Amino acid sequence: MTRFSISRRNGHEFFNLFDEAGANILRASELLDQLLGSWPDGTGLGREILLCEQEGDRITHDVIQLLNRKLAAPIDRQDLYALASALDDIVDYTEEAADFLALYHIEAPMEQAQQLSEVLRDACRSLSGALSELHGFDDLHHHLVEIHRLENDGDRIMREALASLFQNGIDPMVVIRWKDIFERIEQAIDACETVAHILEGIVVKQG
Amino acid sequence: MPATAPAAVRLAVVDSDSGFVRVLAKRLGAVGWRAQLLPTPPPVEELQVMRLHAIVIDTALLGSEAWTYIEHLCGQAAAPVVVICTGPSSVAQRVRGLRLGADDWVTKPCHPEEVLARVEAAVRRRRAGELSSQPIEPIVGGELEIRPDMFEAFVGGRAVGLTRREFELLHLLAAAPGRVVPRERVYERVWGYAMAHGDRSVDVFVRKLRKKLEAASPGWVYLHTHFGVGYRFDPQEAEEKETEEVDR
Repeated sequence: MTRFSISRRNGHEFFNLFDEAGANILRASELLDQLLGSWPDGTGLGREILLCEQEGDRITHDVIQLLNRKLAAPIDRQDLYALASALDDIVDYTEEAADFLALYHIEAPMEQAQQLSEVLRDACRSLSGALSELHGFDDLHHHLVEIHRLENDGDRIMREALASLFQNGIDPMVVIRWKDIFERIEQAIDACETVAHILEGIVVKQG
Repeated sequence: MPATAPAAVRLAVVDSDSGFVRVLAKRLGAVGWRAQLLPTPPPVEELQVMRLHAIVIDTALLGSEAWTYIEHLCGQAAAPVVVICTGPSSVAQRVRGLRLGADDWVTKPCHPEEVLARVEAAVRRRRAGELSSQPIEPIVGGELEIRPDMFEAFVGGRAVGLTRREFELLHLLAAAPGRVVPRERVYERVWGYAMAHGDRSVDVFVRKLRKKLEAASPGWVYLHTHFGVGYRFDPQEAEEKETEEVDR
């Protein structure tokens, strides 16, 4: 209980930064979802996702700076570092997927990419909720269970998406382009699950 | 190679005779043709989506299915040139092969240079035939005049401003007025490959095309959606159009 109180009192700067990171991953994933829903129109959304990626870098930098500055941290320093890093990965992969749409001159979206981006958006929504409740070390269990469920959904959609690309007679260029994009969105979803694992560890240690 | 020789021919060689194939592949590489070397005959549908100009095939690999396979291969829409290159055969066999649609027959042993020259000649003949038989008659529907000779559509003499792909899509649909063309069929004909499940390319291009047609000819509706199936070209005056039409 003592440790709990100290953590809360000294950690508001960290928790504020993770709140910001949660909002940032949610915004990036919502933008990717909108981009895939409107592609090839709405290309301006790509620029906004890039800004989220830069914001993610700024938040990660601030967390590391804060860790270097503070003698006491509210959570295990390794966990804080891992959490910041995994959150940054989510935005990085999201931005890469958006970037590939333009880079590969994608003519039209694939339904499976839209489904994957919906899963990513929902996972980010749950993560954002979990991160905003982190400061009180509340029960994050329901958020984390939802993220694991969504990650399983993502795996299933990914398998179906790959199977559709490797049917006979598909343009090899379509296969190359979309395999890359599917993989980036899946990596972003996997990074969400990594964050969920780290949060689970933090909650257990604080319990 | 003569000046009239076809350039950049996409060729498949279906033959398990490695010695012959090796020498032929060397010659093909030297003239800059892209060749797929297939030691076993793939399904005809697979060959079709390779968008080949020509196939050299040893019918001995096909066994008892040889005639069915050749007939199926030659009967495909936009079938490639088919040159049968096989061991000694009877006159009746050669006549049958050619009557089923093969473009030429070469008997082994033969010189790769001769095979190459025969493929070249058959592709040249095919291309000359295609040019002279290509429909250049305009298709007229509503206010729209579709001109295949110019890869463009016009409304009152003004160009709609179509891209190559938009034109091909419109021409394909307009060539079958009133009939629903399935989405997969559209993709296969316009893009030249099988459509991956979930690919929205056809829908996106129909949307772009509709936008341009609506701007050029606001009083008419030309393209109609059949949900879950495909699209139909059927010019109707705007009053008659469906109240709400969305892609897919």
